[in-house]
Amino acid sequence: MTELQAARAADSLSAPRLEAGSKRLRYLDLLVALAAFAVLALLPLVSDSKALLDFVIRCSAYGLFATSLNLLVGYTGMISFGHGMFFGLGAYGYGLIMQRIGVPIPLAFLATLAITAVVATIIGAICVRLKEIYFAFVTLAFQMLIHSTILSWSSFTGGDQGLRGGIPRPPFLGIDLSNHVHLYLASCVLLVLGLLAMRQIAASPFGYTLRMIRDNPMRASFIGIDVWRAKLTVFVLAALFASTGGMVMALFVSGAYPEFAYWTISGEGIFINMLGGVATFLGPMVGTVLLLILNDTVTRFTEYHGIVLGVVILFFAIGLRKGLMDFVVEWYTQRRDRASGQG
Amino acid sequence: MKRTRQPGISRRSTLTLMGAGALTFAAPWVARAQAKTIKIGMPTILSGRVAQLGTSSRNAVTMEVEKINAAGGLAGRQIEMVIRDSKGQPQEAARVARELVNTDGCELLIDAEASSGAFAVHEVARDLGVFCVHTNSETSALTADPKQHIPNAFRTARQGVHDSIFGGSYAAAIAKGKGLKKWATCSPDYAYGRDTTAEYTLYLKRFAPDVEIISESWPKLFQPDYTEVVTKILQAKPQALYSCLWGGDLTSFIDQANIYAMFGQMEVFAVNMADYTALTVVKNLPKGIHSGNRYIKTFPATPENAAWGDAYRAKYNEYPTNWSWENATAMMLIAEASKKANSADGKKIAEVMRGLTIKCPFGADGTVTMRAEDQTLIGYAIGWGTTIPQEPYVPDVKAGDWKIILELEAEWKKSKGYT
Repeated sequence: MTELQAARAADSLSAPRLEAGSKRLRYLDLLVALAAFAVLALLPLVSDSKALLDFVIRCSAYGLFATSLNLLVGYTGMISFGHGMFFGLGAYGYGLIMQRIGVPIPLAFLATLAITAVVATIIGAICVRLKEIYFAFVTLAFQMLIHSTILSWSSFTGGDQGLRGGIPRPPFLGIDLSNHVHLYLASCVLLVLGLLAMRQIAASPFGYTLRMIRDNPMRASFIGIDVWRAKLTVFVLAALFASTGGMVMALFVSGAYPEFAYWTISGEGIFINMLGGVATFLGPMVGTVLLLILNDTVTRFTEYHGIVLGVVILFFAIGLRKGLMDFVVEWYTQRRDRASGQG
Repeated sequence: MKRTRQPGISRRSTLTLMGAGALTFAAPWVARAQAKTIKIGMPTILSGRVAQLGTSSRNAVTMEVEKINAAGGLAGRQIEMVIRDSKGQPQEAARVARELVNTDGCELLIDAEASSGAFAVHEVARDLGVFCVHTNSETSALTADPKQHIPNAFRTARQGVHDSIFGGSYAAAIAKGKGLKKWATCSPDYAYGRDTTAEYTLYLKRFAPDVEIISESWPKLFQPDYTEVVTKILQAKPQALYSCLWGGDLTSFIDQANIYAMFGQMEVFAVNMADYTALTVVKNLPKGIHSGNRYIKTFPATPENAAWGDAYRAKYNEYPTNWSWENATAMMLIAEASKKANSADGKKIAEVMRGLTIKCPFGADGTVTMRAEDQTLIGYAIGWGTTIPQEPYVPDVKAGDWKIILELEAEWKKSKGYT
């Protein structure tokens, strides 16, 4: 972990420089987001591969989830083992509202976010007081509580069979989510907007407060920061993005299943972060793409995918000792520094 | 050391080059032959705790496909199976199913998923309109609930309610004969366990109104220790016990209950006992456990069924499972429907398959029917009998009466608001 700490320290040191040019950087972020969306939007015109569109939709769901987890893990130092509960909550909230009430999709989307915010505030208020391993385990406990509730309350949630019969997708504002391309574009919009919003949070003064809390909560407290409040705020914000990821997944599979709220989803989130890296904003997104490519290609050839993924984890944990993006960024910085030293 | 390698092109390189050349020239013919094949996609569980069942599904399908291909394939097109692991996760099952259709070009789907995975694949079939046969999900609602109904999806698995109706009537007859009034239940704590137990006791009480359930235990799925459950049952002193534990859970339960000599103290009805995966794993299989048939080669007691069971065992060096016959039946129905339609097109196969009756080793009377109204299998062998510790494990099986089963099923559907 020493490399990671060094990266974090470097990150903190570079704060004033970033702060000075933050306005310019925000425009740059916006431009990058627009460019990314343009590329994604053009994809269906270039390729008629439905599998590729499916892949991007899944990347949106898991990418939003994993990046939101990194707001907690990488930026605030809160290692949550139960973040998957909000992914599940999003999928179930959205699915149940659409199946039982049948409101327009945007309304169901907002209502699900509101429900997630309330639940996350209650759970967060209890969890964020705790430190490190205690925080990790209590979040895990809440996740199992939500998972058990889904299983036991079968008259409402469908129990272990999940929400059956498909989730209705009535058209709204000319958008028909039962159309594959429309669903793809909607997922891309949610992904790009979600990432942009999280990037703004990370780059804002609040984002720097989070880093300070991560590095030295006592010092943050001494200079007048309400640590509990800041942690709770980021916990709720991260939950909202995870919930959005869950909704994208529910739209993709046209259902919601207890597995979405199981600890393995949280485990996958942690794994994605390990794979992609937690010290760079796009690390989890890179990790998502890597994991999904790995998963999809390995399962095509063997049912012993566990062994392959295990070897990959070992490579990243023991070989690189950091995520891919962290490794690349560090390598690039060293090269640049060396070049400027020579110059 | 003396160098023996001569400069120039080696024999190995020459062979490789020749092979590559031959492949280049043969490619158009290979491609043409491939275009003639029909790909059938099959998501199933090949890793994790129920991998054995997924593998047995794959085995059965492979065995049937070999026969169909040897007989000319589906309307002249050779079948190529594309079988992929879903890890038992519904979102992965949905993804794999979509991938099989969209990327691999599979024209038909065999959904060999259990539980929620089947519902996830069902949504894919609804979305893509692809022909699909659910082979392993026994949840009645999958086909009984009209909300689930789509014209392109069928089921060749048992249906929970069928098993419960006959299981209940069989148990009631024994309860009346032996005066078993106090019953206990012990089933896994999830939808299958709770629903099946509720349906079973419903029909048990219907046929034997004196029966009273005095104790209920709901061990968790994959629970390793059953001591608490066994002692709870023994303390309640029931005259009979019903359980729908299955696989490793059932064998662990029996091994642990044997220590307390539980089986001498009450009649035990375990619906999932008569499956080779359980029968051959239990250390000391007690005599006299009542069980429904899952798959045993002695029931139906026909040469066709015995031959099928033996052929499977000879090929894979293990016995088939309940999932094996369900998957084999799917392939038999597809082959027959395709023959009748003279086409391998999913829509045409679906049209012929509705209401189709075929000869089948697993049929109660040597045939099974794909009922047209809800596109689910009926007429398959349902029976209950008692165990003995060695082969044939369940020597005398009492066969269920499909006339009664269908009558009561219609009543059950009405009570659920399905019709």
